[in-house]
Amino acid sequence: MTSRIVGCSVPRVDGVAKVKGEAKYPGDWYLPHMLYAKVLWSQYPHARLVEIDTSRAENALGVVRVLTHRDVPNNEFGIAEFDQHVLAEDVVRWVGEPVALVVAESESAAQTACELIDVLYEPLPVIDDPIVAMDDSTLLIHPERGSNTVGRNRVERGDVFKALRTAEVVIEGQYRTPHVEHAFLQPEAGLAYIDNEGRVTVIVGAQWPHDDVRQIAHALGLPRDKVREIVPAVGGAFGGREDISLQILVALASWKTGRPVKLVWSREESIRGHGKRHPFRMQYRWGATRGRIVVADISIVADAGPYTSTTRMVLDAATAMAAGPYKIPNVRIDAVAVYTNNPVGMAMRGFGAPQVAVASEQIVDKLAIAQGIDPVQFRLDNLIDDGSTLPTGSPGPRGVGIKEALLKAAVAGGWKRQGQHLLKPARRKLEDGRYWGIGIACCFKNVGYRAIHADQSTATVELSLDKAGNITNVHIAIGASEVGMGVHTVLTQLAAETLGIAVSKVHLHPIDTGKVPDAGSCSASRQTYVSGNAVVRACREALKQARRSVSGTIGKEREKNRRTTKVELTYRVDTGDITSMSEAEMHFAYRSYGYCAQVAEVAVDSSTGQVEVLRIVSAQDVGRAINPAMIEGQVGGSVQMGLGFALMEELIVSQGVVNTNNLTEYIMPTALDMPELTTIIVETPDLFGPYGAKGMGEMPTLPTAPAIMSAIRDAIGVEVYELPAKAEYVWRHVRRKGMV
Amino acid sequence: MQKIEIEMRVNGQVHHLRITPELTLLKLLRDELGLTSVKEGCGRGECGACTVVLDGKAVPSCLVLSVQARGKSVVTVEGLTPHNTTSTPENPYSHIASEQGEESLYCSNEEHKSEISPTRLHPLQEAFIANGAVQCGYCTPGMIMSAKALLDENPHPDRAAIKEAISGNLCRCTGYYQIVTAIENAAKCLEKDSPRAILGSESCTGEGGEK
Repeated sequence: MTSRIVGCSVPRVDGVAKVKGEAKYPGDWYLPHMLYAKVLWSQYPHARLVEIDTSRAENALGVVRVLTHRDVPNNEFGIAEFDQHVLAEDVVRWVGEPVALVVAESESAAQTACELIDVLYEPLPVIDDPIVAMDDSTLLIHPERGSNTVGRNRVERGDVFKALRTAEVVIEGQYRTPHVEHAFLQPEAGLAYIDNEGRVTVIVGAQWPHDDVRQIAHALGLPRDKVREIVPAVGGAFGGREDISLQILVALASWKTGRPVKLVWSREESIRGHGKRHPFRMQYRWGATRGRIVVADISIVADAGPYTSTTRMVLDAATAMAAGPYKIPNVRIDAVAVYTNNPVGMAMRGFGAPQVAVASEQIVDKLAIAQGIDPVQFRLDNLIDDGSTLPTGSPGPRGVGIKEALLKAAVAGGWKRQGQHLLKPARRKLEDGRYWGIGIACCFKNVGYRAIHADQSTATVELSLDKAGNITNVHIAIGASEVGMGVHTVLTQLAAETLGIAVSKVHLHPIDTGKVPDAGSCSASRQTYVSGNAVVRACREALKQARRSVSGTIGKEREKNRRTTKVELTYRVDTGDITSMSEAEMHFAYRSYGYCAQVAEVAVDSSTGQVEVLRIVSAQDVGRAINPAMIEGQVGGSVQMGLGFALMEELIVSQGVVNTNNLTEYIMPTALDMPELTTIIVETPDLFGPYGAKGMGEMPTLPTAPAIMSAIRDAIGVEVYELPAKAEYVWRHVRRKGMV
Repeated sequence: MQKIEIEMRVNGQVHHLRITPELTLLKLLRDELGLTSVKEGCGRGECGACTVVLDGKAVPSCLVLSVQARGKSVVTVEGLTPHNTTSTPENPYSHIASEQGEESLYCSNEEHKSEISPTRLHPLQEAFIANGAVQCGYCTPGMIMSAKALLDENPHPDRAAIKEAISGNLCRCTGYYQIVTAIENAAKCLEKDSPRAILGSESCTGEGGEK
């Protein structure tokens, strides 16, 4: 079947508004009688909240209300469990915890009044090392839990002890990744008001508006149909808008004052107020014999910060991806997440996979080198195929395009074929004295939630037809937030393709929980897959019904010019045969995966330690490319994040306090830092994805850092064990090697 | 606080304003004049989201006091095209409604092109759309204004010059590649003296004609 629209780089449906500056983001509305709110943040990363006196603030000029925990009907929220306070009560556990909210006639009046709130704290010892906290039963973040462990995953397959003893080659390494900041360009902003139907309405950038409503309603003690969330244009998310940020605060303020309330965070507040990618400490010990990986022994400690958020799911994804996309018979994984007073560990693009890829791909490289095998060849000999068992024992998927992606990346990256063998380009010294090196990495990542977790999306499709039965207009309602990744354009294309009509006839309803059904979260690279299927199936059903009614009522309908057919359909990801699996096998099984391989070329200045990434080749198996230009855009952004992760992004947290809380000190790649990029699209169709598509938003950010680390080793023989590989780190190790 | 009277030209229109001295140009443009294309991303001149063109130079409006702009000319993205401000919180996507019925001019698939209609967009804006340079769109207005200042001064920039010109504009979504290509293509379009995009070999998409 040839596609007319799927596979075409149709321009974004929201593009014109964005280039004209007409697209409204949550901070862009100014309503009559609007008030401004400001947050008073916790002064300590860990302290008892003894007393809050808001009297001076309440009497300040322009102040309308000062809200504390006493004003919140149910002072609790959280995406997985309600373990966070809307406004601090009894104990504060990180610096991003809101203590009070001032609501005033102007932003400056609110800010001034914040400084007039008197808070008496009793500082408590700061727990900032997860390894120490793990075994400590005396210093507990949550005394009622009895331990600082959020969750622990253990996988044991085969005989790891024996395999390590008998393997020909054993490679070991300890790796460390830092807190990483999402740094979406739009700091959090929200506007709440009471609508004409008396509903508390919040305009905010959010990845799961329907779940936000669940949490807002609970905190305010309101029925869910009395709360409404609208998601306009959003300035990026990357996992950082999955949890509640300011939604409940601003809803509370509007509900209490009866007036619209706007709350906008500064960049400093944004970095302070939302969680980060979990720092991981990883110990990897793998063995190989005659070119085959025989054993993987992995320990992971994740720093979860003080509240649960999505940490258990991150740990699950990390466990599932920890040993990479390889066939390994003996596997031991011990992954634990620990509470600390550092920033909350939350979802960030990759969700545990970027951290483990850093370790696993270095070990794979070194096993190859130790056996005198080319790193691409070694990978090809060990990568999973269709239906292979994954390292955790879960059944692998079908439609596995990772070998093709790896080969294409390698060849485009400079690997040469010599008969049966692959030859890596040789390291060399450049004319300017720098050392040139090349590295490769390949990764996989789940698409959608775990197989044992319900994963679904609901779409409503309304077709308008003319007398002749031609579709004149299609209206689609589905709660998938457009946070920049392009889901609205993809859904529009899928609908147009399925219905056989022009893209311009398809209209997506604004994201308004009062009017659109729940599509689940914009996470796990799942929207194209799950919401895409919901839209495709709803369109097919609507077409069927429309045709039936044409043939059945053609006589009666002749006088009418227009007819509509409306279908609401929920697509649930098929769990297939997982019920026949054991608990262990089931636990880490996902329904679908995406794959990506990257080659990185670097030039290293041995006198300064500075690493320049010259070129990246990225080959990703996306199942089916619905919009190639948008895929290229996602790869570009993924590489920017991966490069930053590898070389420059470092959130410095000391004793629970974030020191790098602005974009001057938290350094991320600019246009001048980006290497030449070649993007290769591989299409191995997914059995269940819409038109064969898989998700792809997270996958290309996984191999970037490992490929760069690999290239640094190739160039100057320095092993990177800790990210970011700053110039100081590389320089110090170059000196140790006497290469200056 | 004592207010100061200033006068400035914004997007071609002269404004007489009474402001307090600490008011930044960013806040003036957004809060007083309703030009919300100008975004605050960091408040410290680091991210470039607030970039506007002030007397021909790209500046971070969060670091410019309004009084510094008195007697000067300011251009924002709203000044590049006729502006539609009909969106409301209840209908935040009115811009989608207003664009309905317009076929894509930029897809190479012939079936998607409709009859030619003169575009209302500046070549930079068209090029950003056509080259996939927009994702979340938050950096986009600032990027376009940095590009505008560049092309007004240097109509034939190479990719290196373009990267330098947008080095103060952070983007977390795109990796900058398609943005650089968009600016490159817009420069070629402007060079051909075709201020309005024309389909076929002279379009600003880079497709057909020079790449």
